[in-house]
Amino acid sequence: MLLTRIEASGFRNLEGFAQFGSGLNIFYGDNAQGKTNWLEAIYILGNTKSFRTSQLRECIAFDQQQAVLRGETLRGSTTKQIQLLIAEDSKQLFINGKREALTRYLGNLDVFAFSLEEMDVIRGEPGQRRRFIDRGAVAVSPRFLNTLSRYNQVIKQKNRLLGEASQSDNPAQYISQVEAWNEQLVELGAAIHDQRASYVERMNQVLDQNDHGRAIFGAERITVRYRSQLEGKGDLDNYADLFGERLALRLTAEIAAGHSLIGPHRDDLEIMSDGREVSRYGSAGQQRSALLLLDLAQVSIYNSIYEESPVLLIDDIDAELDRGRIEALLSELEGRAQTFVSTSRRAIANRYRDRAQTHRVERGQAVRETGSYDGVFVGAGFDNDAIDQADDGSMSKPTAG
Amino acid sequence: MLDYAEPVTKLIDELQKMPGVGAKSAQRLAFHILRAEREETDRLIEAIQEVKDKIIFCSTCNNITDVDPCRYCTSPGRDRRAILIVEEPYNLVTIEKTREYRGLYHVLHGALSPIRGIGPDQLKIKNLFERLRVEEVEEIILATNPNTEGEATANYLTKLLKPLGMRITRIAMGVPVGSDLEYADEVTMHKALTNRIEL
Repeated sequence: MLLTRIEASGFRNLEGFAQFGSGLNIFYGDNAQGKTNWLEAIYILGNTKSFRTSQLRECIAFDQQQAVLRGETLRGSTTKQIQLLIAEDSKQLFINGKREALTRYLGNLDVFAFSLEEMDVIRGEPGQRRRFIDRGAVAVSPRFLNTLSRYNQVIKQKNRLLGEASQSDNPAQYISQVEAWNEQLVELGAAIHDQRASYVERMNQVLDQNDHGRAIFGAERITVRYRSQLEGKGDLDNYADLFGERLALRLTAEIAAGHSLIGPHRDDLEIMSDGREVSRYGSAGQQRSALLLLDLAQVSIYNSIYEESPVLLIDDIDAELDRGRIEALLSELEGRAQTFVSTSRRAIANRYRDRAQTHRVERGQAVRETGSYDGVFVGAGFDNDAIDQADDGSMSKPTAG
Repeated sequence: MLDYAEPVTKLIDELQKMPGVGAKSAQRLAFHILRAEREETDRLIEAIQEVKDKIIFCSTCNNITDVDPCRYCTSPGRDRRAILIVEEPYNLVTIEKTREYRGLYHVLHGALSPIRGIGPDQLKIKNLFERLRVEEVEEIILATNPNTEGEATANYLTKLLKPLGMRITRIAMGVPVGSDLEYADEVTMHKALTNRIEL
């Protein structure tokens, strides 16, 4: 899948539109001009969520009521218009001008992002890692989102109930109510556990095969393991029964605690480099490499299932990687995924000019530069014909150098 | 200063309290009422008053009715051995429209939802048990909604009812007719598979 065009209005400081090539696209410019905002816009347009904030309303420009992102995707020879409208406390999704439900909207533009914020997947709380697995699993099976959101609803209800019960003079009267919610929890929790475990298993297979990636990022062997909270408590292959037993066993403890104590919302992902936990023993550089390899593994899994590429974003590429690794990464991605990177270094934009589309970002506008060596601008991003003529498709192809 | 003369503002405010009616719709409705013939608005006022004066809840099944007990509860044509449990009176109407079911009903007026402060005491569960003491019921059909709250309610009622020994059934859940398998999530699909039927 390709994103050929995006238009933003009322979204942070962005203005106008940008058109993209099928290979590498580079946003460069000074700090605070809007490079990351363009990447974020692409991410939100595809995933309806941001990689920077959980509050989408923060993306609405200061003096605006709503933000609108409009994109054009290309799949085979089919183009689609997708649109996302962000208002103060709602968002609306459209495909070809028709309003659509989230489950039908997702999957039209799947975007993976590598950014500084994402380093929390390595260093942060287990919740960050669960979300990392879930994002990948939802991309390959959008309906998994339904299971997740129903599980979260049940957990919220159950927590409220347990909170009430813990304050009550007669907590025993709540037992059959808690059990009523537990029954659903078992069903949904088992679906989540199984889906995550098999996604992580798949990830390991990909990481194991990725000799090329290992060669780029050093000799470390990255492995992942889904760590269930119920590990060592019984047969995880029959999670539903095990989860049900544990819930029954811990019922009074949960009532006393006033919130739920067990379930896949307490699980974690172990990320190891040569058998040692990266978060604890890895250097900052090793952590970044590990995360990047995990991102690439997600892209590979996606590739193998859909036989097409997702969109990959790399924010602030020079802050994350040294020159050699940038070079290795970008050639690794060549032909595998439409890639968008941001950088404040003009040198990087220049170095890749002959095989990338470069967009200079200034005060929220993305101005596309031609691939020609003299660096003359083609219009200010408004002259469609000139841009189409300039785009003879050669820019996305690799050339020596 | 008010945007409109006070009576108009008051009407808009009142209309806006209705579910699903926002500021714009309320304004549109208010202007519709303003322009309508006197006769038409009188009929609306009368209809509202009549509902409030005459409609009561059936003391047996909690359905809305103008006679107590309601017509379903007293109809000689209905099978008194089965009670079908729904959350809301409009769920009852949906089932009744199919003409497939000829038994009795029981309306809970809601579903368990700790977040919205709805526990068993807020639902009409007590008089269900009173009914079961006096009537010879062989089957209870749980037709609460297939969402998390409706499921929890069905699970809860099952626990309470099981010891009484009658047959307890839950309406089938799975892939919706006229939809696409592609859009069923894992759990729905799992349900559809476990509850599959022999052809």
